[in-house]
Amino acid sequence: MSPKTLAYYPGCSLHGTSAEFDASFRATARELGLTLEEIPGWECCGNTAAHSINRLLSLALPVNELAKVEKDMKLDAVAVPCAACYSRFKTGAHEMQDPAVADDVKSVVGRGYDGGVTVQNLVDVYHDAVGLEALAAKVKRPFKSLKVACYYGCLLTRPPDVTQADDPEYPTRMEAVVETLGCEAIDWNYKTDCCGAALALTEQGIVDDLVARIVSDARACGAAAVAVACPLCQANLDGRQSEIARKDSAWVGLPVLFLSQLVGRAIGLGDKELGLSKNLIDARAVMA
Amino acid sequence: MATCSPSGVLATKVGAGCAENPYLCYQCKRCTAGCPVADQAGMHPAQIMRAVQLGQYDMIFEDKFIWLCTGCQTCTTRCPQGIDIAGIMDELKIIARREGKVHPDAPSAQMFKYNYDSFARWGRMWEIELIARDALHRPKGVLAWLSLGPKMLLKGKINPTLKKGDTDAMKRMVKTAESLTEAKQHEGGKG
Repeated sequence: MSPKTLAYYPGCSLHGTSAEFDASFRATARELGLTLEEIPGWECCGNTAAHSINRLLSLALPVNELAKVEKDMKLDAVAVPCAACYSRFKTGAHEMQDPAVADDVKSVVGRGYDGGVTVQNLVDVYHDAVGLEALAAKVKRPFKSLKVACYYGCLLTRPPDVTQADDPEYPTRMEAVVETLGCEAIDWNYKTDCCGAALALTEQGIVDDLVARIVSDARACGAAAVAVACPLCQANLDGRQSEIARKDSAWVGLPVLFLSQLVGRAIGLGDKELGLSKNLIDARAVMA
Repeated sequence: MATCSPSGVLATKVGAGCAENPYLCYQCKRCTAGCPVADQAGMHPAQIMRAVQLGQYDMIFEDKFIWLCTGCQTCTTRCPQGIDIAGIMDELKIIARREGKVHPDAPSAQMFKYNYDSFARWGRMWEIELIARDALHRPKGVLAWLSLGPKMLLKGKINPTLKKGDTDAMKRMVKTAESLTEAKQHEGGKG
């Protein structure tokens, strides 16, 4: 297999509160034969703030990055492991199909984008860019039936005409990845329910309720850990559990791992490279 | 359409901003059934849709609902009429901001603004700046971080250093997008 090169858009969270996501993603890519080229001088994708303040800017910011990948880097795929950034990239590319929108976006970006870049989220990278067979061949320390709840949250699959997800209500591609690692993917009810997203900054009570519901179901369905592919999902599911435990003394924490951390452990990377010490609920026991 | 005025005004504004037709909604309430925050405010998504159709500005903007919408896209995904309801919620937030109707007790609205200002200034969003500005303007907001904040600090989850993007390119894009949007707004207002 020839080495593959993907453009890489880390996004603001991976350089901030989710440094372990960046570290574990880069380490697994390296081991799995992918070359990641970070987009030079990348900008924020605009996140939730832009699309609720200026719609045109919210489309132009990700399209500007796609144009850099297509025209400057001459690459045909970009890895966007943050699900929120991924959603903005997919939405920007999708909206460019409307010629009037494309014209306005072009005025803001300063040049056109011809749609030649595939946008890949974390699951896509392992499932498609690496491929399940190639991934299986790299597994050195398979998990022994660790029961994992694969949590997609909102933006990996919704809305489906933007993401082209096969089944936005009950996706199974992340399950295919974790099963390749020797984990047992459980069936459960809340895999595409919202964790409260950015409300964690202002309406913590609401987020605590949503997180409690999601994590309780994962546990009731037999999970020993939750796998996620979004920095905000991870921050909320992992971080808010300590707050939930303060209100509910019977609460037992369920570890919440980035999919890249699970992949990394199975292909033989060490705790340090995977940033395991940064997970708030200690995940080292399930990763041992 | 003069016959729809005044109730048509809000729906037209919404449609002009996000190219959605609010009149397609026939109140099946699938949006509300799947909404993670439907029970957290006075209104729920299907009621917001009806209020848009009827031009009920006050009903919408005096309620906190639009500021609690997480943008999870469940409503948009499930709407049998194919309405991008989450897109309409965004458009209502834009209209509220433009017309000075932001709910006084909606810290999320301020947070969006801090977030926007942050990436517009630095090219990237600087997480710690958002928290700091919120703390300055809303001291009780700090209480929510008293327990989790120190834990995150100890785990090295909070990175105080600022990594800038291409700030010149960002400033140019923000300026162009804002002036283009304003020009269109003007154009629409005349018609």
